[in-house]
Amino acid sequence: MSTYVNHPARALDRTTSILGRLLLGFSLLFLLLPAILIVVLSFGTDPRVRFPPEGWGLDRYVDVFTSGSWGGPLLLSLEVALYAAVGTLVVALPLVFAANRSRLPGRSLLEGVAIAPVVIPISAYAVGMYAVFAELDLIGTQRGVVLAHITHALPLVVIVLSTSLEQIRTELELAAMTMGATRLRAWGGITLRLLLPAVVSGFLFGFISSFDEAVLITFLGGSGLVTLPKYIFDSVQYSVDPAITAIATLLMFAVTFLMLLSSTLRRKEGR
Amino acid sequence: MVAPVAVVGALFIVYPLVKLTMDAFTQGDGGFSNFAAVFESAAIRNSLVNTIVMSLVVTVLCVVMGASISWSIARARSAAFKALLWAALLLPFWMGVVVKAYAWSIIFAKNGILNSVLDQAGVIDEPMTLLYTRLAVVVGMTYTMLPYAVLAMNPTMSRFEPEFLNSARSLGSSRTAAMVRVWLPIVAPGLIAAAAIVFAISIGFYVTPVLLGGAETPFMATMIGDDIFAFFNYPRAAASSVLLLVLALVVLGTALKAVGSKALKGGIAG
Repeated sequence: MSTYVNHPARALDRTTSILGRLLLGFSLLFLLLPAILIVVLSFGTDPRVRFPPEGWGLDRYVDVFTSGSWGGPLLLSLEVALYAAVGTLVVALPLVFAANRSRLPGRSLLEGVAIAPVVIPISAYAVGMYAVFAELDLIGTQRGVVLAHITHALPLVVIVLSTSLEQIRTELELAAMTMGATRLRAWGGITLRLLLPAVVSGFLFGFISSFDEAVLITFLGGSGLVTLPKYIFDSVQYSVDPAITAIATLLMFAVTFLMLLSSTLRRKEGR
Repeated sequence: MVAPVAVVGALFIVYPLVKLTMDAFTQGDGGFSNFAAVFESAAIRNSLVNTIVMSLVVTVLCVVMGASISWSIARARSAAFKALLWAALLLPFWMGVVVKAYAWSIIFAKNGILNSVLDQAGVIDEPMTLLYTRLAVVVGMTYTMLPYAVLAMNPTMSRFEPEFLNSARSLGSSRTAAMVRVWLPIVAPGLIAAAAIVFAISIGFYVTPVLLGGAETPFMATMIGDDIFAFFNYPRAAASSVLLLVLALVVLGTALKAVGSKALKGGIAG
């Protein structure tokens, strides 16, 4: 076929091909380098972050665990993320069943509403919540932050659960019932059990979404509630503590581990 | 039993937005006065322009780079290369928005990594001012939004039949022409959906502009935060937020009309 292609076109093809590869290479480096850099720098020992580090060691990790300033925010973040993840499931599970398995009027709208916050500018959302929370006296309370994080995590978790539920056929439940299972038992024994990997995965998504969240906490957390992202945000804003590279590395690996765990679980669903 | 929880949950999502909009029109002097106050402030006007222009630049960068990555993922044959692409994509996705901004602040600082590398290479004599510039904010935001763009495009890209390109080429088209005339129109809905999603999320950015842009190039979110916590002017903050909200909805609505709900929903669901 190349005989039909004239020479200028071939030269053009060569140029676009090279440009395309350059673009891809640049994009990949752009994505990978900062992440790698943080990991590398976390093993430096210089009092200020510099590249390349003059000395290597685990000083920054020792700092994170001994300085005492990271413990409080970390614990608060873990606690909030745990409640938020459980709370998100409590809202998302019925919502997904109502949207996919019921004849509730407006059920598809329900799912749309749950997914919508993902594309709503988060600072606009934060102000709306700020107003509602001021009315309900929830500003600066842990309950309030958990509630806000549930809303924030809901879209992702609903997507994870409903994608999975769509693939579980209702016939399985009916088959169990024709063999004498009660409705509840058919639901619990078949659908819920098949959905379990997605539920675990949804829990992890909810947990991570809350654990990483830095905007809602700034607007709603008052001055007393400092989660880990807020703590890092504040310390980067006012000073640069090199221990951040270590905590960032630990976070990156922890989150990567959790996400790999969740995707392994979902793959085991047996699609 | 199931329905009430679902409905209450959904209401909790909608109510803050309803209250926000009502407050914007009823608090203070009411009517459009709060919106007038937004546009009377030169600082907020500037930051609105700043937010829109920079979000547009971020959107274009994300769509171009995202298309390149997403297309490579769709046709990569080697498992190792595919794994590399996914790693590049998901590592920053999982870093957390604060850590991402922090990484770029180390790179861009006056005595930071980019300046010292360029200095050692003899490219520059004096360190450049990179941190607290528009460039830094655009780079940091693109870094944050690029994975979203790729995930939003993936469904469209993976559905593209490579056979179409082969047909075009066997009919005498050059590869470049085939990409422009066959590939681009077919994947366009995915690109448009990704662009709308990236833009709608970008205009609400708070952390990245504060950490990488400083006081020079405030985003709307910074002004909104200042209105609430520094000037105690909640009505004006509500009006600004409604502006952002309307902007996001208009962009998403236009995209919805252009590409249909399936492409947009597929984009959001990744």
